[in-house]
Amino acid sequence: MINKIISGGKLEKKIIENIKNHIKILCSASECFGNSLFTGNKESTYCVSDLEREADTIRREIIAKIHEGAFLPFIRPNICKFIEIVDEAFDNLEDAAFEFRYVREDLYNIIKSDCEKIVKINSTMCELLLVAFETLIEKGDLREKNLAIRVCEKQIDDIKFDIIEKLRKVELNNFWDGKIISDFIEYLTKISDLIEDASDYLYIIEVSLR
Amino acid sequence: MNTKVKEIMNSKLETLEHHASVYDAIEKLVDKRIRSILLLPENEQDVYGVITVRDIVFKVINKNLDPHKVRIEEIASKPVISIDKDTEVEHLIKLMEKFNIARVFVHEGRQIIGVVSLFDVLSLALIERARRH
Repeated sequence: MINKIISGGKLEKKIIENIKNHIKILCSASECFGNSLFTGNKESTYCVSDLEREADTIRREIIAKIHEGAFLPFIRPNICKFIEIVDEAFDNLEDAAFEFRYVREDLYNIIKSDCEKIVKINSTMCELLLVAFETLIEKGDLREKNLAIRVCEKQIDDIKFDIIEKLRKVELNNFWDGKIISDFIEYLTKISDLIEDASDYLYIIEVSLR
Repeated sequence: MNTKVKEIMNSKLETLEHHASVYDAIEKLVDKRIRSILLLPENEQDVYGVITVRDIVFKVINKNLDPHKVRIEEIASKPVISIDKDTEVEHLIKLMEKFNIARVFVHEGRQIIGVVSLFDVLSLALIERARRH
């Protein structure tokens, strides 16, 4: 499989390194956002935007190199789709960080412990996505990584349900307070969906190469 | 597995008071889609109890008793088997195997603060296995 993916070309090797870096930056951004949530330091969430910009440069480089002719034509769309989904996860993380800066403190405190659990699981998922990608390249068993990512996603789904249940009991008088906390939860919990989708694409790539 | 039970426990606990009826428990079990409810201690000297679907089916339904008339304290298991929050998961698995139970409550001092199920242990094992390259 590794021969089929890389085709022995320099271009392909460079792209694979870039994809690994792209996912590693997602891990760093997730970790950094997690630290902001744990410490309550809203100013430190700006690191997410910085890392997102860095990742954006790498994404453009990857897509450009694919269009230069790297990889076999039939797997190019799946690799591009994979990159786009990881990029979407970055956007969601950045949006969650943005909303976190404006979220009403007393509302956030109701769901603080749940949000902390989510960012921890999100970080684990980023790590698992990197392991899954490396496994694909090294010809390992992707099924186990895929299942672990699905388990994490299910855990976040359950926590989201608890959060909604808690927040539904709160009466709000200001539209924006409600919208901000609702958007924050939506962005925070969507990251795991996207990582799961990205992991599914890795599986599709593996299957298409069998 | 060097993980501690507090890292995988579920802190969302459904509880009922002693005087509640079995029907109250059934309603809660159905609404919340859970399989056990924690019975709160009646006073300082009392301990926590647990009521499961199993208790209801075997001790009430099977005996044709009216769930409205039976109080949960009559059929609950007491005291609950619980484990300290800082115990390692490996020890938890041994405990589950020894007592043949699927859920163990987690305590901090005298307070029950969470519950861990076999499925939580399985999830942890799957994630740790996948993490290993």
